[in-house]
Amino acid sequence: MGDKPIWEQIGSSFVQHYYQLFDTDRTQLGAIYIDASCLTWEGQQFQGKAAIVEKLSSLPFQKIAHSITAQDHQPTPDSCILSMVVGQLKADDDPIMGFHQMFLLKNINDAWVCTNDMFRLALHNFG
Amino acid sequence: MAEKPMWEQIGAGFVQHYYQQFDSNRVLLADLYTEASCLTWEGQGFQGKNAIMEKLTNLPFQKIQHSITAQDHQPTQDSCVISMVVGQLKVDDDPVMGFHQLFLLKNIDNKWICSNDMFRLALHNFG
Repeated sequence: MGDKPIWEQIGSSFVQHYYQLFDTDRTQLGAIYIDASCLTWEGQQFQGKAAIVEKLSSLPFQKIAHSITAQDHQPTPDSCILSMVVGQLKADDDPIMGFHQMFLLKNINDAWVCTNDMFRLALHNFG
Repeated sequence: MAEKPMWEQIGAGFVQHYYQQFDSNRVLLADLYTEASCLTWEGQGFQGKNAIMEKLTNLPFQKIQHSITAQDHQPTQDSCVISMVVGQLKVDDDPVMGFHQLFLLKNIDNKWICSNDMFRLALHNFG
């Protein structure tokens, strides 16, 4: 069986690391963003590491657990990695909700950082 | 009222055009891809305009209709635009289903083309 392509290895390990950090201590997520990073969280924009970490740290729940149903990774023309996640999350005692998230990863000084991050709850308008 | 940022105009314009073409005559989507484009469709990878168009034109339905619940757009470090869509689709007489799609758009010779495309049905593992 062939090895997974490099972008899939990098993407899936980033995704695993991200949700692990998010679920245990999301104040530590600062390390994966830079000043040029942008986050769109449920339609709201946040620019730069500090604003992003402030948003994520102040999300109004005590505990959270993410689980991933599917993840896809692709290399981009500019040597970045694009990752898309379909999953579920449970915050405190709330019912489980589906979510969609995407990350664009860039290699800066030998570290893979997240330059673009978009999160949406899977709230669809049916009918 | 302030104008929308450039990347949002480009992203929203692309998204509207993409689903309009997809729903009316998806053969015409060929214009949006190049030889370097990649598509991941429900976890399967397709490389290049020809392979992508073969996949899209062979999808097994007569009619399809997409509707968008939410779309988010961001500029990237490499002057691309990323667009994420949460929506619903109805194929033939099947029940409406949620979907999640991501596009990375690149400007080549003054035209915005899609270099990366990922599509997943919103099938979550609850419980």
